[in-house]
Amino acid sequence: MMIRPRSSLVLWLLAIALLLLAWPPQWYPYALRVQLTQWFGASSYRALPESRTPGQLQSEAFCPDENRDWREAQVIDGVSIAAARPCVADNPYTIAASVRGTNNVGHHTLMRSGLTPDAVVKGRDLDGDGDPDEIHIRLEVAELNGSSAESRDPVTQYAIAPGIKPGLWVFAPKLAGMARENFESVWARSDLRLPSPAIRVEQGDRVTVTLENSHYMPHTLHLHGADHGFVTVDGQGNDGVPLTSELPVMPGMARSYELTPRQPGTMYYHCHVQPHVHVMMGLQGLFVIEENRPDNWLQTLNVGAGQVRVPAVAVREQYDQEYDLHYLDLDQQLGERIQQHSDPRLITRSMHREYDITDSSQDYFTLNGRSFPYTFRESLVVAGEDERIKLRVVNGGAKGIALHTHGHKFVVTHADGNGIPSPAQFARDVVWLATSQRAELDLRTGNDGLHAYSPGIWLFHDHQNRGTTNDGIGPGGNISAIVYEQYLDEEGWPRTQGVSLEPYFSEAYYRKEVPVWQSYAPDLFSDPGRDDWLLLRLLVLAVALGLLLGLSIRAVSGRR
Amino acid sequence: MWLLLAMVMNDAGMVMNANSDILPRGCEAISRDYEFQVEAGMDYAADAPGAIFGMSDHELIVEPCSRLTVTFTNRDEVRHQWMVHGLPRYLYPGGMFHIEANGGATMTGTFIVPGDDKTYLLHCDMAQHMEKGMKGQLVVGRGSGDLWSVKGVSDAFERDSYLPADSYRWLGLWALLGIAAGCGAAWFMASRRRRS
Repeated sequence: MMIRPRSSLVLWLLAIALLLLAWPPQWYPYALRVQLTQWFGASSYRALPESRTPGQLQSEAFCPDENRDWREAQVIDGVSIAAARPCVADNPYTIAASVRGTNNVGHHTLMRSGLTPDAVVKGRDLDGDGDPDEIHIRLEVAELNGSSAESRDPVTQYAIAPGIKPGLWVFAPKLAGMARENFESVWARSDLRLPSPAIRVEQGDRVTVTLENSHYMPHTLHLHGADHGFVTVDGQGNDGVPLTSELPVMPGMARSYELTPRQPGTMYYHCHVQPHVHVMMGLQGLFVIEENRPDNWLQTLNVGAGQVRVPAVAVREQYDQEYDLHYLDLDQQLGERIQQHSDPRLITRSMHREYDITDSSQDYFTLNGRSFPYTFRESLVVAGEDERIKLRVVNGGAKGIALHTHGHKFVVTHADGNGIPSPAQFARDVVWLATSQRAELDLRTGNDGLHAYSPGIWLFHDHQNRGTTNDGIGPGGNISAIVYEQYLDEEGWPRTQGVSLEPYFSEAYYRKEVPVWQSYAPDLFSDPGRDDWLLLRLLVLAVALGLLLGLSIRAVSGRR
Repeated sequence: MWLLLAMVMNDAGMVMNANSDILPRGCEAISRDYEFQVEAGMDYAADAPGAIFGMSDHELIVEPCSRLTVTFTNRDEVRHQWMVHGLPRYLYPGGMFHIEANGGATMTGTFIVPGDDKTYLLHCDMAQHMEKGMKGQLVVGRGSGDLWSVKGVSDAFERDSYLPADSYRWLGLWALLGIAAGCGAAWFMASRRRRS
């Protein structure tokens, strides 16, 4: 069918008119816009899109309901356990079994501790001072948030913050029973977690640490900074370094490491197989050697690090409280590799050949295995006034940390386990910790104008500001706080005077879906709505262009 | 706490929810007694590429209402478990029967299966042990369909990709070859038909 010339001309004009009308004014060349403005003035007022009404956030409870009684001061099997004031506390039965030894506690305590009968075996008192000096600790290796051939969700799940589940490897105490809470649950049991447990032994103890490699890759145990022989008594490698001292412990196999440490101090242990990968996956923990004292029954395992609820005698002589603080940063592009494959041959290729730590960057920043806001559940330093608190700090991350306390100036008493001479001790509010460095801090509370400014809720965190984010979203990372008792509510939550913490307990916030000031300034800083008018214009423009194109084709083919 | 009720725990390991005499509902009597010797460890994964841990038997088939005595021997130096899930909760707290053996140890436990045809998950619930090979199934009667990812029985539900690392080039080449072959075949057949 032929179109008559006149109607064709009308269509051409219509298409061009539509095109001109629909063309967004912002798209005109700048000079043309200036010229048009000089002729006709500005376009008429059109309001910007309304702010979007915030959706209801799905927020978790600040304080979970389970095991509230674990927080109380209590005596279990003769072990006096201090109260833990934050809302999530460690299992006191695990603490009691760690102090007395899993071979010395009653069946009931052992069952509730979650440990196997041989997890922490305490033997003879060799120096006759009233405490055991033969200590045998067994560690396993567990994978958290790993992959499965059954589903796409990670298995044995562990969240460092709402919705954040990086792939992790940890040394774990030898635990009896399942890895999960129960068969219906996808979550790891509460004692299977990051960080690897802090280990405490006494100066001069005969210590054996048996690594039962329950993981699917080779691992070893290296006692960084702790006095140990290069070989054991029977000539077996004892340094944990596959390059020089021994072959790695293969999956399903076990090896015992021995030491009788002569010097006290805050040391460190980690896997030394492909350490640039394995240590950064979480295979590292604090290894504390306490000074020898009579009747010094130590809390051999501090699961999850944090508050030491049964401090050593020498610590109690000077301090009111003691905390283990384990900092670790994580590269999301490393952790996800155990979630992308199920076959260990593919996993090892991905982790040990395709992953390049020299191109890495860190995304998550943990304190004792959690990032803010979860640090507020379990890693608060809760203080009374005029207290001295000992903080044992290790930085296990790939990058250094600039640890800063608000409201307080602490004194660094020891570096890498060694005492700093008192003339060199001074009050400071930032301490730099390079990778694997340890520091012991003397924190005084109260209100003397130098060491402490006043009671309150005072943050402490890595002052390199990426450390206060979860993959770039703040607040997050290793933020925690020194909280004075009067600022803590019954549940163990800080009585803050600032913004609501509720948004931070939603997964959406750390998925970057929630405007950061939405909770208190929704009209000002919410996401703006869509410009539907512009969308309509663009649709009309597209129709006009289509019309022009069609007419052109017809004109060309008609001529032929 | 139910954990404390039907449980044996010693230096060799533990057995939870052992039951050698209470019949599940619907069972008139014990239909049959089985004795299984199950071994576990790395050695039993040696014949399965990509597996690390394994069991001597990944599938057990028994009659409804039968009594099973399982002797579980751990050939490794780390803990392993032999756990059955999905059993009736009125008889087995948490719906499970659980044997755990320390490295090198042997533990024995007895339990009675219900009377209906059902396939039960059987595995080691240490982190990643099921995922790396220690998954099996206990088929009672005719069972209720195979579970996924049981060695020697069923495929993986989420199978890894085993295409070469430069798979785009390979896939392109493969597609070209296939298309060329298909065209050739069509042309050949068409030309034959024309001739005939």
